[in-house]
Amino acid sequence: MTRYALRRLLASVPVVCVASFVLFWAVRATFDPLAKLRQSVDPTALHRETVRLGLDRSLPEQYLLWVKGFVQGDWGISTRTGGAVLPMVGDALGTTLQLILWGVALAVVLALAIGLYSAARQYTVGDHVLTGLSYLGVAMPAFWFGLVLIQLLAVWPKQQFGLPDPPLYFVGLHSVGHSGLDLDYLRHLVLPVITLTVGLVASWSRFGRATLLEALSSNYVRTARAKGVPRHRILLRHALRNALAPFVTVVAMDAAALVGGLVVTEQIFSIPGMGKLFLASLETGDVFVLLPWMLVVAVAVILFNLLADLSYALLDPRVALR
Amino acid sequence: MPQPLTATVQGRLPARLPAAGALLTALALTATACTSGTPTPQADTATNLPVRQGGSLVIGAEQEPDCADWIGTCGASIWGTYMMQTQTVPQVFDVRLKGGNWTPVASNLMASEPTTKLVGNQQQITYKLNPKAVWSDGKPITSADLKYTALQVRDGKAIFDKSGYDRITSVATPDATTAVVTLKSPYGNWKQLFGASYGVLPSHLLQGKDRDAVMKDGYSFSGGPWKIASWKKGVSVTLVPNSRYWGPKPHLDRVTFQFASDTSAAIQAFAGGTFDALYPTPQLTTVDQIKTLGSAAHMQVQSGTGNLQALWLNNAKFPFDSAAVRKAFAYSVDRAAIVKRLFGSYGVTAPAQSFMSPLLSRYASDDFSGYRPDAAKAAQLMKADGWTKNGGGYWAKNGKEAAFTVTSLAGNQSRELTEQILQSQLGKAGFRVTIKNSTPANIFGKLAPAGDFQLGLWNLTDSFPNPTLSATFSSTAIPSAANDQSGINFMRIRVAGLDPVLERVDTELDETARVAESHKAEKLIADDVPSLPLAAVPNILVTGARVGGPLSINPVEGPWWNLAEWGLTK
Repeated sequence: MTRYALRRLLASVPVVCVASFVLFWAVRATFDPLAKLRQSVDPTALHRETVRLGLDRSLPEQYLLWVKGFVQGDWGISTRTGGAVLPMVGDALGTTLQLILWGVALAVVLALAIGLYSAARQYTVGDHVLTGLSYLGVAMPAFWFGLVLIQLLAVWPKQQFGLPDPPLYFVGLHSVGHSGLDLDYLRHLVLPVITLTVGLVASWSRFGRATLLEALSSNYVRTARAKGVPRHRILLRHALRNALAPFVTVVAMDAAALVGGLVVTEQIFSIPGMGKLFLASLETGDVFVLLPWMLVVAVAVILFNLLADLSYALLDPRVALR
Repeated sequence: MPQPLTATVQGRLPARLPAAGALLTALALTATACTSGTPTPQADTATNLPVRQGGSLVIGAEQEPDCADWIGTCGASIWGTYMMQTQTVPQVFDVRLKGGNWTPVASNLMASEPTTKLVGNQQQITYKLNPKAVWSDGKPITSADLKYTALQVRDGKAIFDKSGYDRITSVATPDATTAVVTLKSPYGNWKQLFGASYGVLPSHLLQGKDRDAVMKDGYSFSGGPWKIASWKKGVSVTLVPNSRYWGPKPHLDRVTFQFASDTSAAIQAFAGGTFDALYPTPQLTTVDQIKTLGSAAHMQVQSGTGNLQALWLNNAKFPFDSAAVRKAFAYSVDRAAIVKRLFGSYGVTAPAQSFMSPLLSRYASDDFSGYRPDAAKAAQLMKADGWTKNGGGYWAKNGKEAAFTVTSLAGNQSRELTEQILQSQLGKAGFRVTIKNSTPANIFGKLAPAGDFQLGLWNLTDSFPNPTLSATFSSTAIPSAANDQSGINFMRIRVAGLDPVLERVDTELDETARVAESHKAEKLIADDVPSLPLAAVPNILVTGARVGGPLSINPVEGPWWNLAEWGLTK
């Protein structure tokens, strides 16, 4: 397994290289790293920065310079803040991963539970209700749902019951003067996590239901039934285990997409994660942040893919990791 | 003087620069409960409830500054100015309302009003500092600090705006409380030096050091009523009183500005008691959202701001390279209808009739008031210029339709609505309008400087009560190699006879003569219609029941200009 993982990681290097070059080319073609200085009253600024940043060299040379710095931990300086890019992206990534961790964990549990229920009780009232709710969950835009949650679960209870504070918070991940993993953190986490979870639960539960139904109609399940294996055992040990492998792949791919895809959720809840960083950098054309940001997201996709493959092998012994 | 441009969201603008509106704001909140039948928030211009000593407030801040090096290019954040700079950096002039006009007045940093005189063709300004003025470490604020600040701006690299400072030939410091600054040529806006833009920095702490490195993530020194206790990036800025401040001490023990970039969520946070005050972007739905807060919210609306929204015509591009078309355009747009739709709920219903924002009202005239919707006049102008209507009902000349694109900020509800109204109004008048929006970075970093637009819709923000029309309307401010592409006359405006008048506005030291020259410039601009002013964009301050003190908005120093006087109500 370890050898396979290492081999896959090594095989990912060319993919990352190609992806990084394409991203480098695309970002440089779209944004002008010196846009800010083109309005400068300092006549030397443009030339000075052009030389300092190596922008007078050919694109492949610029790319190699940038990659060298990136690998050595020198991700450049943000034109927006003047700060080092590595800690900026690192902090944002850490914040977003917190949301992803809690959100994905909750969504997996809920989606599997709903999928199991729906598959086991196909075409019952409960199944129909859950199917309807799933469609609703998929259709609800995060910005609207987040604001509705804020009103229903935070503002309204405070006003209705005359509470000194809302039961759940919705600005950032900590109140003023708080830090670390405490109750205040959890009270901040609930609403953004629900917001990002609802769409995931909706789609994953439908996927879980479909794969479980497929597994339940297979010959080995029919055989198990014929042998008199109890229903819950068939469902959990035979059908679920087989259905989990494709389910995990979908989860991993969606989780990877969340690394750069929580723009709206982070904006609404004022969480300084990858989405907010992307938005701020995009608005100001901060190429020195956008480039590593995109590469980090690309690497996350590759890593989550690898994770999915490894999980696949763990869940299905028939899959050989070669 | 051409100004550098930083494509920031609500950027701090050196004299007058395009200001990009907030993106992704007011994302269509529909309050779901308890909204009907509640009393509407009180709206007026100022309150003054008695306060007690001590306590803390949390204020919602829509934007986080990029850095706290106010001199550097990264320090271009109006929110940074409001939250930190105004509270911690002493300045020579404050901007106060006097006789109905916003006016620079000597601050308590000064022992007396600075004086100026011409020596030959050079301008000499004498500053006398208040001997009681000290930094937070107890060291006196001296003339050396003025000299340090002046030279940092004049000679520094990556400086946000050198206007005025680039004319400094020398700074003499005959004693610790006297500084004499000599400018190589007269500078009408001399009161802006060491004023709202930059203030005065401590030489004893910064001399010989990398100023940007010391200041950019927040700094410990202060020469104002507050000190920066912490700046947690992406989360909050906390201020505590500066115990050595020589002026009135703050009533509060602590003020925290917590970043909440989504206006709708920030208003909800106010409703939930997380925030005690807000300064929201006036989007289309903002007033409605604030109304849902009922009597718990006290709302102040200020229409006399430094923000001016305008329709910017590219005078070098078809069809606005024709003066007749520009005039016909002006007679085809019902600006009053647009303003009423956009800002009517804030009480702003009249269009702007000048390119001076209300902050500069003393220099403004109303020469654009003659441009009202008049289809006959518009048609007459077009026909006289050789245009005829084609089968589609659009004006055409030499086989080319009077068609153009309007460019503004993508995702800004208010701007997009304005564009749609324009499209409808101008379509009826025979102009084919298409909408092509983009990001602030692309518009102000690329399209506008390159002149790659036809009609632009964006704001100008005046940050000091001094006229700076030349930055936008002088032909010398057209981005070119001659000015190192640093001009902001993106519209390529060249009005005959205007440049010398603007030059006199910039260099005249006599206020009465300066006002007269300003009026002349405004008349020339209105006659040529190189662009069209739309409206003064209002500011809104929302405070909760806990907040007391003299609450009002200063269009230069922001809503927290007098934060030291704020407190918890008794």
